[in-house]
Amino acid sequence: MNGKLGKGLLVILFGVLLIFAWHLQANDGKAQGEKHPDVDFSISCTECHQEVTPEIVAQWKSTKHGMMNFGCYMCHGDGQVEFKAKPDTDNCLNCHTGEPVDASKGGNLQCFSCHKNHNLKFHQ
Amino acid sequence: MGVTRREFIKTTAAAAAAASIGTTLLPGGVKPLFAENDMEWHKSVCRFCGVGCGVLIGVKNGKVAAIRGDKFNTINKGHLCVKGFYLHKIIYAKTRLTHPMIKKNGKFEKVSWDEALNFVAKKFNEIRKAHGPDALAFYGSGQAETEETYMANKLFKGCIGTNNMEGNPRLCMASAVGGYLTSFGLDEPAGTYEDIEQAEMFMLIGTNTAEAHPIVFERIVRHKMKNPNVKILIIDPRKTPTDQVADLHLFPKPGWDLAILHAMARIIIKEGYADEQFIKDNVVFKDNKKNLTYEQYKQFLEKFTPEYASKVSGVPVEDIVKAARMFGQAKTAMSMWTMGINQRTRGVWANNLITNLHLLTGKIGKPGCDSFSLTGQPNACGGVREGGGLCHLLPAHRVVKNPKHREEVAKVWGVPVSNIQPKPGKHTVAMFEALNKGEIKGIYIMCTNPAQSLPNASKYWKGLKEQFVVVAESFFPTATTKFADVVLPAAFWAEKEGVYGCTERRSQYMPKVLEPMGEARWDAFILRDLGIRMGFKKEFEKYKTAEDIWNEYISLTKGRDLDLSGATYRRLKKERGLRWPVPSEDHPGTYKRYVKGDPIFDELSEEKKKGRWIYFYGKPEGKAVVWARPDKGPEEPTDEEFPFALSTGRVLEHWHTLTMTGTVPELNRAVPKAYVEINPEDAKALGIANKDQVIVETRRGQLKIEARVINRPKKGTLFIPWHWEEWMANILTIDAFDPGSKEPEYKVCAARIRKA
Repeated sequence: MNGKLGKGLLVILFGVLLIFAWHLQANDGKAQGEKHPDVDFSISCTECHQEVTPEIVAQWKSTKHGMMNFGCYMCHGDGQVEFKAKPDTDNCLNCHTGEPVDASKGGNLQCFSCHKNHNLKFHQ
Repeated sequence: MGVTRREFIKTTAAAAAAASIGTTLLPGGVKPLFAENDMEWHKSVCRFCGVGCGVLIGVKNGKVAAIRGDKFNTINKGHLCVKGFYLHKIIYAKTRLTHPMIKKNGKFEKVSWDEALNFVAKKFNEIRKAHGPDALAFYGSGQAETEETYMANKLFKGCIGTNNMEGNPRLCMASAVGGYLTSFGLDEPAGTYEDIEQAEMFMLIGTNTAEAHPIVFERIVRHKMKNPNVKILIIDPRKTPTDQVADLHLFPKPGWDLAILHAMARIIIKEGYADEQFIKDNVVFKDNKKNLTYEQYKQFLEKFTPEYASKVSGVPVEDIVKAARMFGQAKTAMSMWTMGINQRTRGVWANNLITNLHLLTGKIGKPGCDSFSLTGQPNACGGVREGGGLCHLLPAHRVVKNPKHREEVAKVWGVPVSNIQPKPGKHTVAMFEALNKGEIKGIYIMCTNPAQSLPNASKYWKGLKEQFVVVAESFFPTATTKFADVVLPAAFWAEKEGVYGCTERRSQYMPKVLEPMGEARWDAFILRDLGIRMGFKKEFEKYKTAEDIWNEYISLTKGRDLDLSGATYRRLKKERGLRWPVPSEDHPGTYKRYVKGDPIFDELSEEKKKGRWIYFYGKPEGKAVVWARPDKGPEEPTDEEFPFALSTGRVLEHWHTLTMTGTVPELNRAVPKAYVEINPEDAKALGIANKDQVIVETRRGQLKIEARVINRPKKGTLFIPWHWEEWMANILTIDAFDPGSKEPEYKVCAARIRKA
């Protein structure tokens, strides 16, 4: 292999890695390789999180989502087949269809940009 | 039928916003949040419970890729519950049945459709010839489309000539039917969901609305949040998530609530909350044997003091009084109930006693007032109650025993009237009993899983094992397919078109948006082709499309109380359903029955309507019945040997026997397994800790299951969610049934519990 070809291959390899890294960045938690800790999956999310992150469960319960029992899995995945530590907002739109947003606030707005924390309070 | 998201929104009030998706800002810098990615959206209906939520199915590259709540459907206004949220995933479940199979030498073997249908036709004809038509039976579903149930009805009642045709709504809604028929003379509620936002008070009795009918609960929550003075009374032996909005909760001993309802009626009359003019104009009184006067009814109620009701039910006297006053003082009131009332040996009576409160106070027929039964399945009302899919019914609220009804139906079906037997067939429990005895030798089961869902289920496995069983299903295996001789793959939701009719008398169209998985076929055409192969070519070959079947069905509704003549496919494809009566294509549908605006009321003679703003036209003189029913308790009360009352029910995240929700990882994560709820006081007394393995035992069987020690069930009661085959609650439940509605008493039986 001559030096020129080697350099060319390196450039291509670097490019591929760059594209791959960008792809990971652009995708959801699953693609980023996020993994839920190995726990006893025979118990439900809320049952466990009631013990390990009670403040988060309390926040969630205080919302209408909590009242309707829209569980952790709806945003974060089931934890085994799919897990998103930082969920995307596509799922929000399954119910909140065509909700308008004030675009003057910025470019790449997502629901969670404004509805923060597990109580999803606006601009908290 | 497909419309792009852009086209869809263009037709709505949001047109201005939609016209500029992702590009132009609206005044004030507002734009829709996300652009669509070439997704085609199709208006449809949710596949789960009887609420009838509108959904949009998103199709991309020939696959169903997404689901959304339909913002323009007035039932759910875009909202979905957690089950509906994952509905699209179920289409691609690994457990989809994709080809016909025949059991040969104890093992299922893949066969062609020709072989499967020829085999079933031959076996059914042999049984019919050797043992008569009543040796065959059909068992259907409140999840089947109206068109599917209609075809089964014609094949079994009209062609084969047996009324052994039932459906699982017998197990959930039959008592509500019996209640409406005996109180008003006609089935199904007078009001609609629109009453929710106009009600001042809700009586939720025998319903865990938050989990079993979440979108109805969401509407109640929203209404109460906006109007904090709205009062919510719950009557239920178990504390449930519905309690989050309760103002008062009465916890009766399971099966002992009839006395409470009578006591409430007594207080309402004594304290002057009754609408005496309404009673005079619109009500008659009866007991189980004869007509009563109002005075005699009052005399009957004298026994039901709050103290008596308290003694019988275990509810404190003051709570019974408060509940009665809450109902009496509210200007408008809506009662809702479901299986806690219907699945009882006195389910019809319990239904009557709820309606009594509305009739005594005149809280019916007005906005915000109704006795409103919540339905468990998406088409129990439309397909089975209205379509006539039970052993005593014919399409469009007709009955087999009425010669005129038989003639009308036989004429439309193109069969000799003598084919339709005048005697009702075997109701569900009797049907499976007859399979056990060998009186029924062949059964066709469609879209349901009786080996798990029947009460006292294991008792009926014998018949399923011994007789010839055909199961048409979308999923495999199920508890029932294990017993099948033949399994036929059925197209699933979104793979077929048809109509569902929900709780509020609303019929809604569902489009076919993709081809069925594998070799699956539409149930209605499986039945059509089976009919042709059984020798009924003339009767069945004319049905080429779903619309052919629907048009024939709605022709039978013309002039009936559930007139759907105006609900053509052309209209249903455009509109978010229509509430019957809808007698013509230019009729908007009916918000309230029995009053002005109901086309049947409007067409009554002036003489009948004179001085009447409401006329219960299903009853003589337009007068509804207040019933003086005895306060009988459950069939199997607790005793020393079995001291706990066991109840079964649903959780929010799962549905029926898990054939659908069990395929969704997220829903399995939410509630991975069954458990038995036990009150902390009872658990302490028995030395049972949370998560202990325990044995729950009844006179019919026992189940090893995990204990959940929780302050939900009333002391002395146990609760098991019934969805899992592995922890099959129905091996414990009792198959005693209401003598009127024939609906079994799933909700109460005597049990004991011990540490495993």
